[in-house]
Amino acid sequence: MKDIKRALSIASPLALLLLWEVLARIPSRLTHFVAPPSLVMVTVWQMALTGELWQHMGWSFLRVMLGFAAGALPGIAVGLMMGLIPTVRAALQPIVAATLPIPKTALLPWIILLLGVGESSRVTIIGIGVFFLVLVNTMAGVMGIDPIYLDVGRNFGARGWRFYRTIAFPGALPTIFAGLKLGLGTAYLLIVFAEQIGVREGVGYLIWQAYDTFDIERMFAGLLLTSLLGFLSMTALSALERRWVPWRS
Amino acid sequence: MEVMSSGMAHAKEDDEAAERIAGGRPCDAVPKIRLRGVTKAFAGPSGEVTALQDISLDIADGEFVCLVGPSGCGKTTLLRILAGLEKQTTGAVDVRRADGDRPLSRMVFQEQSILPWMTVEQNVAYGLSMRGVDRKRQKAIVAHYLEMTGLGRFATSYPHQLSGGMKQRVSVARAFADDPEILLMDEPFASLDEQNRLLLQQELLRIWEGTQKTVVFITHSIDEAINLGDRLLVMTAYPGRLKAIVDVPLTRPRDVTETRADPRASRLYMEVWRQLRDEVLKAKVGGEGIRPAPAGNRA
Repeated sequence: MKDIKRALSIASPLALLLLWEVLARIPSRLTHFVAPPSLVMVTVWQMALTGELWQHMGWSFLRVMLGFAAGALPGIAVGLMMGLIPTVRAALQPIVAATLPIPKTALLPWIILLLGVGESSRVTIIGIGVFFLVLVNTMAGVMGIDPIYLDVGRNFGARGWRFYRTIAFPGALPTIFAGLKLGLGTAYLLIVFAEQIGVREGVGYLIWQAYDTFDIERMFAGLLLTSLLGFLSMTALSALERRWVPWRS
Repeated sequence: MEVMSSGMAHAKEDDEAAERIAGGRPCDAVPKIRLRGVTKAFAGPSGEVTALQDISLDIADGEFVCLVGPSGCGKTTLLRILAGLEKQTTGAVDVRRADGDRPLSRMVFQEQSILPWMTVEQNVAYGLSMRGVDRKRQKAIVAHYLEMTGLGRFATSYPHQLSGGMKQRVSVARAFADDPEILLMDEPFASLDEQNRLLLQQELLRIWEGTQKTVVFITHSIDEAINLGDRLLVMTAYPGRLKAIVDVPLTRPRDVTETRADPRASRLYMEVWRQLRDEVLKAKVGGEGIRPAPAGNRA
C-alpha cells in the first residue's frame, strides 16, 4: 500500500508534465502562449551554459536576502518588545494596525521617488513586507508564551536582556519561524514585482523582459527559476528551524 | 513621637496576636519569614474576591513548613507573595536575608515549569547562569545535583523527552542548584502517581537534610505534609486563613516508609483531618457560590 502511494505521488506530476508537453505541441491557439516543458528545460540549460542563469538567480537571491534581513531583524526586535511590554504595545499597536493593510506593492512607486530606481528601493520594499509579517508573528508568539515560563524567568533572576534571550525569544521562536516563512514567501512575491524597472538582471527582470519580447520559453524559464529559488530558500529556512527549535518534535 | 509610639504599640499587638495563632510557640529570636496581617484581594468578575485574610505567622530559619489546605484556599497566592511574584493588598511581609551573594528564594512550581527550549543541564544551571556564576563552577554544581536526582543520563535531553516525574526532578534540582536561602514549593509532586510521589518525597528529604534551607511546602495531601514537615499550617477554605498550626513530632533524618508505620503519624493524620474536613466541606458548598454578590445587588 505504501509503495502504491509513493508510486502515485511520483506518477501524477509526471503525467501532468506529459499532458502539458503533448497539449503544448498540438498546433492550436494555445501553442502561442504555452511553452512545452522540454523546450523550457532547453532554454534553462542554454542560460546555464552562457552564465546568464546564475546572474539572474544570484542577483534576485541577494536582493531577497538583504531585504529579508533588513525586515526580519527589526521585526523580531520590535515584536519582542511589543509582546512583552504593555506600554510599548499600547503605543505602537495602532500604528501597526493602520499601516499593516497597505498593499506593499502599492508603496513601490513612492519608494522609488524617495530612493531612486537603485537597489535600495528594491531591498526596502522587501524589507517592509517582511517586517510587518515577522513583527506581528513575533508579538503573537511572545504573548502566547505560557505565563509560567515568565514567572520562572522572574523567579530565577533573569532581568533585561537576559530575560529576552532566555525566555521571550526562545519561547516565541516557533511562532517567529512561522512569520519568517510567510515573510520569505512575500519577499519572492515582491522581488518579481520590484524587478520590473531599473534592472538588467534578476528572475523578475527575466519574466518581464520575456513579456516585452513575447518569448514564452524564457518567460516559463523565469517562472521555473523563481519557484526554484523560493523552494530552496524555504527548505533552508526549515532546516534552520529544525536546528534552532529542537524541542519541537 | 505620638505616631511612632502608637505604631510600635500596634506592632507589639500584632506580635502577640501571631503568638496566639502560633499556639504560644514562639520561634527563635528573629524568624526567617514573618508575616503580619497579610491579606490579598483580587478583582473578580463580580466584585472583589479575598484570597487570603489576615495571615500572621513566623517561620524559623532552617525550618520545613508545610501549608495544608483544600484547593482554592489561597496557598499558592501566599507562596507567590513570598516569592515576590505578587504583592499583598495589606499587611507586612518580612523576609530576612542572611547572605547577599545567594538568592533569597527560589520556587518549585506546581505545573510543568522547566523551560522546554533548554536541555536538562541548561535548565538546572539556569539560576546560576543568570547570576553569572563562572562556567566551571556551574558545571560542577549541575553535575552534583543531576547525580543527586538521578538525572545524569538525561543531561542533554530536552524536557519533552522526559516523564512527569523526571521533569519535577529537574525542577527540584534547578531550585537547589541556585542555592537559595529559602525554597518555595508549590505542590511540586501533585501531578505524579503515588509511587513516584513517595520516591520524590524521600529524595527531597535526602537532598534537603543538611542544607539548612528554610522550606515552605504547599500540599493538599496530609500524608505528604507529615512525611516532610516540621510544622503543618492548616488553612481554611474561603477566604484563606490560618486555622491551626500542628507540630510534627518525628525526628530527622526521616524515612517516608517508616513514617507510614509510625503510630504518632497516624494520630497526627487524624488530628489534621478533623481540622481539614470541615474546610473541605465548606469549600465544596462554597464552590458554586464562591463569588460574593456585591451588597445591594440582591433585591
